[in-house]
Formats: sequence, structure tokens, C-alpha cells
Amino acid sequence: MEHNKPKIGVYICHCGMNISPKVNVEEVSSFTGEINNVTIARDYKFMCSNPGQELITEDIKNLGLNRVVVASCSPRMHELTFRKACENAGLNQFYFQMANIREHSSWVTKDSAQATKKAKELVFAAISRVAFHAPLDTREVDVKKSVVIIGGGIAGMQAALTSAEAGFDVHLVEREPSIGGHMSKFDKTFPTLDCAACISTPKTVNIGQHPNINLLSYSEVSAIEGFVGNYNVTVKRKARFISEEKCTGCGLCTEVCPVNIRSDFDEGLSNRKAAYRSFPQAVPLTFCIDKKDTAPCRTGCPAELNVQGYLQLVGMKKYREAIDLIMERVPLPGVLGRVCPHPCESKCRRIDVDSAVSIRDMKRFAADQVDFESLDIPEIIENDKKIAIIGSGPAGLTVAYDMRLKGYKVTIFEAMEKAGGMLRVGIPDYRLPQNVLDEEINHLLRHGIDIKYNSSFGKDFTTKDLLDEGYDSVFLGIGAHKTLKMRIQGENSKGVLDAVSFLRDVNTGSTKKPGEKVVIIGGGNVAIDAAGVSKRLGSIDVTILYRRTEKEMPAFKEEIDLVLDEGVNLTTLVSPVKIVEQNGVAVGIECIKNELGPADASGRRRPVPIEGSEYIIDCDAVIPAIGQEPDISWFEKEPELTLSKWNTIETNTKMQTAIPEVFAGGDGVTGPATVIEAIAAGHRASESMDKYLSGEILDEIEEPIDISKENNFLDIPSDYSKKLKSEMEHLSSDDRKVNFNEISMGLTESQSETEAERCLNCGGCCECMECVKACEVEAIDHAMEEEEIQIETGAVILSTGFKAFDPSPMTQYGYGIYPEVYTSLEFERLNNATGPTSGKVLMKNGEVPKKVAIVHCVGSRDDKHNKFCSRVCCMYSMKFAHLLKEKTGAEVWEFYIDIRSPGKLYEEFYNRVQEEGVHFIRGRVAEITDIPDNPEDRGKLTVIAENTLTRRTARIPVDMVILGVGLNPAEGSDDVGRMAGVSRDGDGWYNELHAKLAPVSTPINGIFLAGCCQGPKDIPDTVAQSMGAAGEAIALLSKGTVKTMAEISEIDPDICSGCKTCLTACSYSAITFNDSKNIAVVNEALCQGCGSCSVACPSSSASVKHFNDIQVMNEIEALL
Amino acid sequence: MSEHKPKIVALVCNWCTYTAADLAGTSRRDYPSEIRLVRLMCTGMIDSKYILKAFLEGADGVFIGGCHPGDCHYIDGNLKAVKRIEAIGIMLEQFGFEKERLKLEWIGASEGPEFQENMQEFAKKIGDMGKVQTADRMIL
Repeated sequence: MEHNKPKIGVYICHCGMNISPKVNVEEVSSFTGEINNVTIARDYKFMCSNPGQELITEDIKNLGLNRVVVASCSPRMHELTFRKACENAGLNQFYFQMANIREHSSWVTKDSAQATKKAKELVFAAISRVAFHAPLDTREVDVKKSVVIIGGGIAGMQAALTSAEAGFDVHLVEREPSIGGHMSKFDKTFPTLDCAACISTPKTVNIGQHPNINLLSYSEVSAIEGFVGNYNVTVKRKARFISEEKCTGCGLCTEVCPVNIRSDFDEGLSNRKAAYRSFPQAVPLTFCIDKKDTAPCRTGCPAELNVQGYLQLVGMKKYREAIDLIMERVPLPGVLGRVCPHPCESKCRRIDVDSAVSIRDMKRFAADQVDFESLDIPEIIENDKKIAIIGSGPAGLTVAYDMRLKGYKVTIFEAMEKAGGMLRVGIPDYRLPQNVLDEEINHLLRHGIDIKYNSSFGKDFTTKDLLDEGYDSVFLGIGAHKTLKMRIQGENSKGVLDAVSFLRDVNTGSTKKPGEKVVIIGGGNVAIDAAGVSKRLGSIDVTILYRRTEKEMPAFKEEIDLVLDEGVNLTTLVSPVKIVEQNGVAVGIECIKNELGPADASGRRRPVPIEGSEYIIDCDAVIPAIGQEPDISWFEKEPELTLSKWNTIETNTKMQTAIPEVFAGGDGVTGPATVIEAIAAGHRASESMDKYLSGEILDEIEEPIDISKENNFLDIPSDYSKKLKSEMEHLSSDDRKVNFNEISMGLTESQSETEAERCLNCGGCCECMECVKACEVEAIDHAMEEEEIQIETGAVILSTGFKAFDPSPMTQYGYGIYPEVYTSLEFERLNNATGPTSGKVLMKNGEVPKKVAIVHCVGSRDDKHNKFCSRVCCMYSMKFAHLLKEKTGAEVWEFYIDIRSPGKLYEEFYNRVQEEGVHFIRGRVAEITDIPDNPEDRGKLTVIAENTLTRRTARIPVDMVILGVGLNPAEGSDDVGRMAGVSRDGDGWYNELHAKLAPVSTPINGIFLAGCCQGPKDIPDTVAQSMGAAGEAIALLSKGTVKTMAEISEIDPDICSGCKTCLTACSYSAITFNDSKNIAVVNEALCQGCGSCSVACPSSSASVKHFNDIQVMNEIEALL
Repeated sequence: MSEHKPKIVALVCNWCTYTAADLAGTSRRDYPSEIRLVRLMCTGMIDSKYILKAFLEGADGVFIGGCHPGDCHYIDGNLKAVKRIEAIGIMLEQFGFEKERLKLEWIGASEGPEFQENMQEFAKKIGDMGKVQTADRMIL
């Protein structure tokens, strides 16, 4: 074919004065003419011009050239130009090579002789390389007739409208819930003072209604694959939890939403709800629910109670709704509101600010506001199955309530005369009044739950009896009511009472004091309760003995403090040795002192007795409270059930015992634990029971919880004011130690409001479901999930916009420290009719500012931050000055470095503002301080700057300061750039293909730029550029086809050994394996030509066309 | 000494370092003329052969320039190059070659000034190290 002897034409370009005279082109030309295979060498003024290109085409035709080398500028500039010239003359375009003697020689080499030498070598290398070039084919492929536009600000909107008007499908992807970008936050635009809303809303509305535009709001692009004309864009549609089809935009969800979140749209100057829409004219009009990860209080609760939800409902005084929500997971709100050890509070993120929210007390407050007897009983859809519950403690009651709501007929069997289990008999009335328990248990029973009292498991009936009687399933919630023995001498003497029996007797009416001098042994809550009760019954001297230190006591700190306050003694680091008895009656207890040794299995330091330290405490009553275990007197009648070595009932992870119909949970399974854990166990058991009875298989495998994931909670604003948690009032120790009245008084209403406000709403939406109740069109779906869609598109336009510079690091300006220092975007909102002040320019104290300073170039033209000029700040600052004058009549100072007003009518606007009496001080502001120069300026901010025109220091006291912050690339634009393959400059703006001649194109064909993502610009420039980008995209789509890349990999089937190394090297999965031929095959549609396979290939059968070994090696050889 | 200028080959990727070199040119940032650029599509396509070839043909230094990690036009070609270049460095050393004669650097498309700096530094270092002895090349 054409693989005959190379006949090379070489063309050296002068590039006007750019290459010549630094490079002696004539010398290069004559040197080149001598090289083997070179048929003709010429130099010319401008090779890229028409006559220049004609030189090439004519020579190909007349001299029969079969290779061409042009030595001129960068191939990134004109390679395509010259390739086309070759094609025009009938030469395959890949028989061309370029030597870059401008950017890489004449422009970067000082010495002319050196530059010429280098140019010669570069040309020689190109000649050596081109000799080995081969003709390559490109295929024409169809272009997908649609455009994806990333970013729905004014740039993206304009590009979308222009493209859509040309008849192409447009997919506009916007990550916020509504489009409009920064422009929708502005009130007026410079220099014409057009109302921003008036000129942008017609565009947003048009986008919402245009038949060719598919608006994907609240969505983000997660991948861009493919090539020009055939991109495949993956869009992640975030769950907005409100159906775009159904929502009518009525706003009822916002009205009932209790969660207040700082409004990003109002730059943090106001609050919005978790169910929100950025502004009333938003497109789309669909509301959105801002949901983060589940709040840590909720995940920290064993029963997974929706804490954030009820806190917010209490804040809205919706107590009944709060109780409904609590009862979904905790059937005894008032009880838990009193006795729960609140593990949730230790997870509360408010601790990072000051202290945890009073979560437990809020639950009690809600319960105290509600009359449980008046609560409605929901309609229950009955089924025909019967359940027996043994024990009416928290676990049993939870199972009973859950199962009843599911329609089962439920009967509780209770050994005692009253329901409540340990809640009834283990917790003293001063902590949990009986009437609270009664009220809540009665409410549960009102759901249609039967209870049989004085029915003792093992004595009166067995599980077999119940199953025989027709109960379909049984739940064992027997608790742990037996006190452990101390196993010391004298334990059976008179005067030694076990704590559980003692508390039970008192709770069921006994008023007999245990003795005058009482010693209680143990460090748990039972010991503390026994002490408090003894004190109230009239015992004079009550002492708690504990073997470790107070720090290790398992009892709750607040409970310990209360009894100590009541006069109970606490002696730590002692263990009982024996009971001293006289005639079978306890008269004292012999103890031994301990010291702390190494940690034991529980992680607490083990007490080690100090030999010879024994001593005797005189007393007439000893109450051991060293722990409980389940009473297992029933065990011999239940041969099929199994027990652990701690005498607890054994179950699988689904709470099922050895008898499949029998489930168990609570203290009887775990040993003594907390009420909330018993409730959690009850829920697990009822879920399993329900599944079992519905014939489902109980899957024992627990889903692993992904703890590696960083939680995404609502941000804690840095300027949050500290406010410690509200504490309940308590009866004074004198008032309480004589009776059994409840000690804690509960929160007040105003405290409850404070606590609801203190809640940080970590989860965003609190899932109180009030919006679901309020929405008349049933548009709300809290279970909505994020989805991914794929869009095939011919072109992509990036219009990701900007982010305002954050001035917080410039502490000299006091932003975030002084409340009256605003950023320009904050002032835009303050000045906007839809903003936090409805467009009135007011200070935080509600007054109109009389003196205002505007500081230019904040973060711009500053070596420490951004070196570039942000282009829009001078103009918007002067717009602010004008608006301030107009709205408030305030005296305004502009602190500027240079006024940049190059634009149509801009300079005129500058003149107008000057004429309006605005002061212009040329000088960068050094400091803003609240220390006044004069006493009468107290409360004002003093702006200090050197007036570089008068060379005097200006110290201007003002009421308000506006910082003219510059522009930075939008957050996430780095990721989008990476996906699109578009590089960014040092400041983060996307690189355009050519600063002058291709400002909206990128080096990646089919990807275009619009607006500020390419660099700061004002609205007119943004709109013009967006139309330009749309124009480029339209041109591409209209053409209909593109040529595929020819420089891709090829694998020589004759050499390939089938080792599959290339398959793993390829990052595009573009290589497949042909099993029948045992060779690797390149998928030409996917291959990008990166060359990873060619390097990886051990047999050198893979290579990249146009970059194969022989071509590259010859180039290297020729250079040296 | 100036007559014995070292020879340096720079193998650079089309998308980042070659563009940075163009930018250095456009902004007239000069650097020593003994550096010769070879344009490749990605540092990931740089075969060990190319580097050895350069040293065998008389290069005193070989510079590899690619995109910053995460910015590779071909996802991760630059990361594949890192491992290879490291391995070649070790191999060169075993043959008695100073491994400093081979250098890999990330220079992004907009980093014209960084390109210039790197070229000046590398040329100076290779200049200071002197030419590779013929005997050393022979071993290769």
C-alpha cells in the first residue's frame, strides 16, 4: 500500500515574529532538507493561514508526498488544522506530525542559537517519527440529540432555554430543590437596577413548562462516561420525600413541621422548616423534606424511640401527638419519663455545644400534660389468634400492647395483685408514683388486653397448659425478682432482709421500718432505693457499703446524690465478711477494707481486701442488694425450656426459647437490666412472635450495621449561643425524706420550650409525621429512596457557578464576631422582599442603620486568599450604596482599591452613585473594631483604613459593615470537573480550551462551559457565555455525527498469549476475552487509548495506535 | 563546562504536563534548552523500554510529568505510572545508575510556573551530576 519509501514534506513556520527570528527558520529549513526521506523543506510566515495550508496540499499533489511534518506551534492548537489540510489533498490525516518549536523552543529559550538547535532536533524527531506513521481510520457515529446541563443557575437556565428552543432535548440537573441559583437571591441587578426576580422568574417558569426541558432538581451528577456525541451521564436523584407529581405546593406540610433549620437560602439570617421550599416562587414548586441521618438520640435508645420527633412536638405544644409518637416505641411514657437511665442523652450532640438536652424530662413533661384516660383507642383489626403473656412488667406490657395493636387477643397472667412487675414493686413511690403507673397501664389495658392477677407461672399453670388451652403463642416476661445471696456467715439471722422483698413489701403497703441502724450492701439502684426507703420509714442511721469507689457504682449518679442529700451515709471500699449475731438476731456486720487492684472482666478495677483491716459496724438491720436473678422455682415443671448458668432463660437472637411457640425477653432473659432494655426486648419478641404466627421463617442472621460510614447530621452553627440543660425542681431534702411524695417536680412549660429549642435537630426532619397527616393529596413519602438514572446525551454543559468567599478567616474584619458585619450575599437577602426582613434594611436590633461601610476586595486581589479580581464586587457594592441611600437615607462609605466598572452603563452608574453623595475612600480596610474612638460611638463599629489619596488614616464609626466578598468555584465543582475530564486552573475555575478563541469549549470534545464555573463574571457576561455554550452544543448536535477516535488500543491476535494481564490493567473494562480463541479483544467503543494495556502486555501484542513502541522509540532516539 | 550540556528527555502526558509546558511557553517562562519533550497521551502508557531507550541513547536525565493524582484524564493511568517508575528507579540503581536521574512529578494543566521551576531544577541537578559515563550505559 502506502508503506513504500517515505516522501516527507517539512514546513517550518515563522509564526510572524513568534518563532522567527529567535529560531533561525531558514537554517532549520536548510538543515531539514538534508535529512534522509525529506523530499521538500520549506519555511513560511504563517503555516496555519490559507496560503500556508495550500503549500502543503499542493506539494502532496505535485510532489507525491506521503508524510507531512509542520514545525510551528503546539499540536494542541493547530494539529487538527494541518491534519485537515492533509486529508484535503487525499493523504490520510495520521501521516502527519507536528513539531512544537514555538511554545517549546522560541518562547522558552533565551539564546537564539540554542533555540535554533532545539528546533532542529524537534523537527528531526518529528521526521523520524512520521516515517513510521500508519494510516488510521475513524468511523462516523451518530450524535445523541440531547444536552445535559449541570447547574441550574442563570447560566444553566439560559443554556437550557437556548438549546431547548433549538429543538433539542435538555436535561437540566440542579442539586438544590429549586433552580435559579444565586441570582434568585438578589433583589436588584446592576447597573439598570432591574428587579432580579422580575427578570429571572420568567426564565424559571419557562424552564418548568418547556416541553423540551427535563428539569432534574435536587439531583447530582455522579458519573460522566463515553465520548463526544455519546456521553452517558449518571444522575443521582436525591429523595425529596415529597412526590413531584402529587405536590400542589400548598405549604400545609411547612405549617405543621416542628423543625426549625437555618435557611441557607437566606444565608442563615432566618430559619426554615425541615419541610420547605426555598422561596415562594420556586421552580419546581414542589416542597422538599430535609432529612439527614437518623439522630444519635434515636439510634442510641435501645427501643429506638424517635426522640427528636417528640422533643419538637412538645416544643409545638402538641403533647397528645408527642405521646402518640412516644407510644409507638415506649408504651409507658410517664414511667420512662421518670425512671429511664436515658442512654440517649449521652449520645446527644448538644454536648458538643454545652450539655445534653433533657430528653427524659421532656418525655415526662409530655406525659404529665396528657390525660391518658381521654386518649382515643385506635381501631384494631382483629385476627383469630390468641397470645398469653406471663408477667406484666415492662417487657410483658410491651409485647401485650404491640400484639394487641396487630389484632391478636392478648391475656396477661400476673403473679401479683397488681400489674407492673418491677415497676410496681421494685421502684419506690417517691421516684415513680403508683398513680402514674396505674394510669398508663390502664390505658394499655383499655386496648382490649385481658389480665389475670394472682396467676403464678409454674405454680398455677405451665406453658404447656396455656398452649393446650388454645393460646397460639406465649411470652415469658418473668423478670428477675430473686436477690442474690451474699454467701457469708449469719446471712439467715433475723434482721437480714433481702432488698427486693423489702422494697416489694413497702410498695404493696407495708410501713414497717427495717431497723434503727440499717446497713445496705451493694452499689446498684436497688441499694440506693432501699436506702431512700429506709430513711423515709424512719430509720435513723442508714449506711450503704460498697466494695469499690463511688466512681464504679452502677447506680445512677443523680440517684446517689439525692439519697446522700437526704442523709444516707456511703462507705466505699469495704466488703462484708460476716453478720454479727446474738441469739439469731443481727447486731452488727463485720467488714474488711479493700483497695483497687487490676481491672476485671467488666473493665472496672477489682477490689482487693486489705488483710487485717477487718472492723465491725453496729446495726440492727442488714439489707443485701448485691444483684438479682430470675426466680426459677417453675423450672422443674418446664423440662423443655433451658436455662443459662446465671439462671436466665435461653433464647435465640429472635427471642425464641427452646419451645418454638414460647418467646421470652426482659430481665428473665438478660438478668437485671433497665426498663428501656426490657421494652426493647419486648418489641423484638413481638416482631418475632408476629412473624412466627404468620408462618414466616425467623431469620437468625442479624444485618451487620455499617459503622464505617461518617454520619451526616445537620451542621451545628459555629455561633450557637450556649445554654445549659434545664433541670427539674426537686422537693427539698427536708421535705422529701419524711414521706413518699414524688421528689422531682417536672419541667415547666417554658423549660420545655427551651429544651425543644436546644435540640439541634441532628436528623433534619424529625419524622414526627405531622406533615403526612396534614397533606391532603398524600404526596409525602418518608420512605422515598434516592434513585439513579442514566441519560444518553450528545453534549454536556457545565454551569456549576460559584460560591461566595467565606470571610471568617479574615478575623480583622470581625465577620462572625460582630453581628453587624454582613457578607454581600447576606445583605442581598436583607434587602430582598422575600428575605428575612421582607426587604427592610434593618440591623439585628431592628433599627435602621444610619451609617454603613462597604468594604471592597474581601478575599479578592489579595495574595493571602485569591489573587484574582472577582469582577462583580465593585458594581454590586455601588448598587448596595445606591439602595441603602434610597431605602434608608444612610450615609455610606465605599472602601475600594480601584473601581472596576468596565461594562455598558457601568461607569455611568459609578458616576451616579458618586453624585448621590456616597463617600469613596481609596484604601484597603485594615481592621474593623468595636472599640470606639469616642465614647459617643459606643456600640458602633469603627472601620480603619489608610486613605491612600489623602495619606491619612480614616477611622469611620458605622452601624453596619458589608463585606464585598469575592467569588470562588462552587463546592463540588472539582468532582464534576474530574467526572467530565475538564481540568481546573490554580484557583479552581475550569480551564477553557483557549482563553481568547474557545472560551466556552474545553479540551474534551462535547463538553462546554457556561457562567462562573469558568471564572467570575457578571450576569450579562454569564448569559452571553451560556448562549455561546448552547450554540456550540447545538452546532455539534445539528451536525448529527462525530468521528470516533482513531488513537485507541489494538491487540495483535497472532501474538496475544491469552494471559489476561491487560484485562485487569484496563480502567474502562474495554478489553474482553475471547474464550474460544484464547485471546484478548479490544472493544473499540469503550477504549479511550490510555495505553495501560500496552504497557502491561508481557508479549507486546497490545499497543496504542499512533503511539506504538516503534513510533515513540524513534522519536526518543532522534531527540538524543 | 557549557559545551558538555546534559541531555534530558521529558516524557509528559498530553492533558496536564504538556499543557503546562504550552502555558509556560505562552507566558514566556524560559527554561534550559537541553530539555526535549515527548508528548504521550498518559504517563500510564510510558513503557519501561522508553526510559531505558532514552538512557541508552545518551540521555543524562529522564523526567516524567503527569496529572495530579485524582486528575488523570484516564481515571488512574498516573497511579499506574508511579509504581512502574519506582520499580525502574530501583532497577537503575542496581545497574549502578543514580536513580535521581529519573524523576516523576505531577504538573497540572494550569501550572505553567511549576513546569518552569521543575525544568530548571531538574536541569540543574542533572547538570551537577554530570554526564552518564559511557561504561555505565554499556551495563544497561
